[in-house]
Amino acid sequence: MASNTIIYPDVLDPIETASREFLDRHQEASLAAMCEHAVANAPLIGKVWADAGVKPSDFKSLADFREKAPFLTKDDIRAYRDAHDDPTGGMSVDSPGQTVSVGTTSGTTGDPTPVPNWRRTPAEDTYARDHWHIGVRPGDHVCHMLFTFRGGHRRRSLSELGIAEICFSISPFEIPRIVEASKRFRPTSMSIFPNPLINAFEQYFEKTGEDPVDVFKSYKGAIFGGEPLGDRQKALTQSWGLELFETTSLGDVAGACECREHNGFHAYEDIAFIEAVDPITAEPVADGELGELVVTSLVDRLSPLVRYRTGDLVSIDRSPCGCGRTHARFKLLGRATDQILVQGRSILPREIMGLIEKHDETRANLFQIIRADREMDELKLRIGYDVTRLKDSEGALRLRLYERISVAIDVPLVLELVDEQELLKLGPPHKIPRVTKK
Amino acid sequence: MTTSHPDQIGCYTAHGKTHFYSVKRTELDRAGVQMARTLRSFAFKPGSYVLTVSVVQEVVQFAPFEFALQLLGLYGTNADLSPFDAGRVESLARQFDPVAICGVGNEVLEGLKMMGHDAATVFKGRTVWARPDAYDAIKAMPGVTARRVVLVGPALALECAQGSLHIDGREWDVTVDGEELVLSSRQYRIDPVSGLKTGFSGALTDTPCACGSPDPHFRLIGGI
Repeated sequence: MASNTIIYPDVLDPIETASREFLDRHQEASLAAMCEHAVANAPLIGKVWADAGVKPSDFKSLADFREKAPFLTKDDIRAYRDAHDDPTGGMSVDSPGQTVSVGTTSGTTGDPTPVPNWRRTPAEDTYARDHWHIGVRPGDHVCHMLFTFRGGHRRRSLSELGIAEICFSISPFEIPRIVEASKRFRPTSMSIFPNPLINAFEQYFEKTGEDPVDVFKSYKGAIFGGEPLGDRQKALTQSWGLELFETTSLGDVAGACECREHNGFHAYEDIAFIEAVDPITAEPVADGELGELVVTSLVDRLSPLVRYRTGDLVSIDRSPCGCGRTHARFKLLGRATDQILVQGRSILPREIMGLIEKHDETRANLFQIIRADREMDELKLRIGYDVTRLKDSEGALRLRLYERISVAIDVPLVLELVDEQELLKLGPPHKIPRVTKK
Repeated sequence: MTTSHPDQIGCYTAHGKTHFYSVKRTELDRAGVQMARTLRSFAFKPGSYVLTVSVVQEVVQFAPFEFALQLLGLYGTNADLSPFDAGRVESLARQFDPVAICGVGNEVLEGLKMMGHDAATVFKGRTVWARPDAYDAIKAMPGVTARRVVLVGPALALECAQGSLHIDGREWDVTVDGEELVLSSRQYRIDPVSGLKTGFSGALTDTPCACGSPDPHFRLIGGI
């Protein structure tokens, strides 16, 4: 008689543990195929390559590609979109029967960029791998908190693995339902779990007296995203029994998530070819050095980004990871466009974050750097605080913040304090713009 | 061994209470095939864009709609039903010139106003399926073909080109108790319902609809 219990092999996808030699050869072959496809089918790629005077057949190796393939930026895509009245910016291959929907980027910095979706997107593949690594298995539930604009309601990657998604908006109003679902379905993971939701959970637990350890006792992890994870939020969620795994976008090509080693974001190298270049000169930088992340999709035939400059400042590590994966990891320092130079000192939002969350009134970490120019004479910060938690006066809070930030970042400082609700209105709900011109 | 594990768990609201509701993907696809019959009445040109405004937990109701778009060769795109994402509705309407927008609620109207966009301009020239709280405002906009969309329990009721509010008759047995619409599932479902009081009052129509869909249609009276 057949057993009623199915034991699933507890292994990673074999490609995740492939040798470096295999990965390099695989990438070489995939790049050649993708470049042929992109130049022939994505009008902007065809134009950029023609302008550069290169053809896919010019490349015989990864080194050739690195040396000759032209770069692509978000500004190129926007310029093509505006010049040709093409919402996809010359990047999409609309293909009846293949394009099942058109997702869009978050649009934090302008009009959302369209991203045509095939039946299963690369991001869904990487998302499923991330959950598998956390320990989610067939028969489990996950709490799925997201927006619809990434691709609507047609996700299938987890259900194809036999994993049920319990669906929620990223909204504080959903917290009672998430708590109810956590107790009823006992999910093993959730994503994405951003800062504003963590703050809202904290307030919920304070108000209701509900025990967070009991609520989250079935979780093997939660995927945190939207912006950097601060020490306070990390410690707070650890006290709830939750291990957080940070995720970030791999340049609009896919997702990249931490593993249990928490030593960088895994870039799946069968999905994307990654490089780092000097943000000013575009010269290659060696692994381990700081550079701008450049990504080429190896699988997405509908949105074939080739040598896409992401604007993210990273350092890449291609040594095998303790989690068993052989693919590259990268550390993310911030976005090049978020960087500010004050009297020559480089400052990124991530650095400020760890300072502001240390005060009870500003524990939600809501702040903006006011960056009129890349180089400024003083660091101007707009900081949101919870008016109900104010211990003394606004002036006294400003002084406390001033002292802490001045000690850590030794540059002239100007602070503006506002009710944090005003900053939250700047949404989207999972993050606020960290850098603003005024 | 067989398993009966859901693929997605969405929700529905009735009488002010929100309930979890489990589905298999096959159920959503099945409902999408049926929904394509209502959508066909508009004769949208294949390759046109349709924007869906919804939230993730409405997967049970809107996944069939999106699948129906795919079946008809239309390109679906999405925005969230929230004031924060109303800017995306405006942006996508401008960039893609969708023939239709489905699921517009009062949150979108509020958000557009807050962001300084004129809703009538955003929606002009399009078919707009509006939720009950936004229908009157949309209906009053010149140049907009206003239609209703109503989340009736786990079902999505959608007005056809003829203006009849259809519900999937293959999937649901629809009856009226007093004035309240009551749903029972007719097909195999992982989460079957029997006699679900939906919280909507309506009057079922027993005449065939001129759009050609045999699905039951009803006149919405209001919420209970």
